[in-house]
Amino acid sequence: MFDFSVITQNWPLFWNGLLVTLLYSALSIAAGLVIGLVIGLIQLTGSRTLALLGRVYVEIFRNIPLLVILLWIYYAFPIFAGLSVTKFWAGFAGLSLYAGAFYAEILRAGVQSIDKGQSDASTALGMTYGQRMRRIILPQAFRRMIPPLAGQSIIQIKNTTLMSMITVPDLLYQASYVSSFTYRPMEVYTMVGFMFLVLLVPLTLLSRKLEKVSERMK
Amino acid sequence: MTHVSNTSAPLLKIEALRLTFGQRDVLKGVDLTVNKGEVVVLIGASGSGKTSLLRCINLLNMPSHGRITIDGEAIYEADTKARDGNDVPAKTVNRIRSRTGMVFQQFNLFPHMTALENVMEGPITVKKADKEATRKEALDLLAQMGLQEHVGKYPRQLSGGQQQRVAIARACAMHPQVMLFDEPTSALDPELVGEVMKAMVDLARSGMTMVIVTHELGFAFEVADRVIFLDEGTIAEDGPPNEILLRPTHPRLKSFVGRFHETADLLRPFLESS
Ligand SMILES: Nc1ncnc2c1ncn2[C@@H]1O[C@H](COP(=O)(O)OP(=O)(O)OP(=O)(O)O)[C@@H](O)[C@H]1O
Ligand SMILES: [Mg+2]
Repeated sequence: MFDFSVITQNWPLFWNGLLVTLLYSALSIAAGLVIGLVIGLIQLTGSRTLALLGRVYVEIFRNIPLLVILLWIYYAFPIFAGLSVTKFWAGFAGLSLYAGAFYAEILRAGVQSIDKGQSDASTALGMTYGQRMRRIILPQAFRRMIPPLAGQSIIQIKNTTLMSMITVPDLLYQASYVSSFTYRPMEVYTMVGFMFLVLLVPLTLLSRKLEKVSERMK
Repeated sequence: MTHVSNTSAPLLKIEALRLTFGQRDVLKGVDLTVNKGEVVVLIGASGSGKTSLLRCINLLNMPSHGRITIDGEAIYEADTKARDGNDVPAKTVNRIRSRTGMVFQQFNLFPHMTALENVMEGPITVKKADKEATRKEALDLLAQMGLQEHVGKYPRQLSGGQQQRVAIARACAMHPQVMLFDEPTSALDPELVGEVMKAMVDLARSGMTMVIVTHELGFAFEVADRVIFLDEGTIAEDGPPNEILLRPTHPRLKSFVGRFHETADLLRPFLESS
């Protein structure tokens, strides 16, 4: 019933799609982490204005479906702002902004889970806010944040498939293209699922391992 | 115990200090001067504001009114116009804050660092001190605390008493002019209290200025130059330990100290050994 020759014959397309998926995953996770760090930390400085700003950001990007964000940035934003936005930038921006909101929440919760005595002790030594964060709070918080960060990053990698809707040639886009002329959606989408499994299962195992290591260091 | 308190220079000066949490007045105008080399013990019922007063001295709590001076320089001056209510700029606060060292009831060691790293952290990060010199001094401090065998251990590998001694060494490493202790032995198993008290007695004998909140009245009696009884956010009694602890006049102090007399006999052996 299955005829996987459609995969082997069109392998270059799948391969290119996979590379695009990996590229967007890596870039948007990196940018999302930076955004998350900034948005998460400004909520913890004690300034009400900054906290509110961070809050608004998180609520907007966490509660609008990613697909809507992508479509809006690609189709609506250019009209609105009067500039042209390439597929690359629309996909990259949409994914990063969305991921940033979730990472920010993970960071905020992680930092807030650290005992108040840690900040008391470091303040009493004369450390500034930045020193406390860098030397005392974040190193402890990051250990607790490994599992949720890994989980969110896995979701993020799967979320890149939504970019096919704005015609970014990622793995899913290539798959639908292949299936459109081979009429073999079963093989094609099974292959896509399999490729994600092969990609993400090792990542999950890695995060488990990191978690165990950090557990031992606690 | 008597100090060479000939230097009656005020090191810590607290004037008309008020602290409110929301609607609650926790400190209602506290005036307190601590001289160089003096050991002051703060006692008082639960909720009387002992912790709050101690935390105001290094501004872990931001007071709402008054003035706090450490070695002639203000760390806090009331100013309702300033955003955080303090006239003193944040930079100055940090500088003057490191003239104080604090030891907490729950130790609050940094769990991701070894005992040695905990002690080195302040000088390295805050004072940008030389790493090798700091390490050497930290090892010395830990040895003074009887912890030479535990310098490479993480806090979770240490007993409560050992952790608290690391915490004392950590505070000492910053060369503070005054050390603040908030019930340093309250979280310890009874058999570990003595080792921490001994470290504090040594520190007091070395001439360190200390403000100590403790329920160990035997310790207060032996080590303090002055005992202060805090009652509902004000200083109700202030005097030498034998006056405050043996001849209390304030009715609430009387009942507070009553318990001490009942347990004084039990404490006697420890006092003699220190
Ligand atoms: N962060 C806070 N927010 C609101 N109220 C507080 C806060 N910290 C302390 N208080 C209140 O201030 C009062 C004094 O508290 P404080 O901890 O200074 O008392 P204490 O004398 O140290 O008591 P204890 O012997 O129980 O440690 C208490 O009534 C307490 O409920
Ligand atoms: Mg207290």
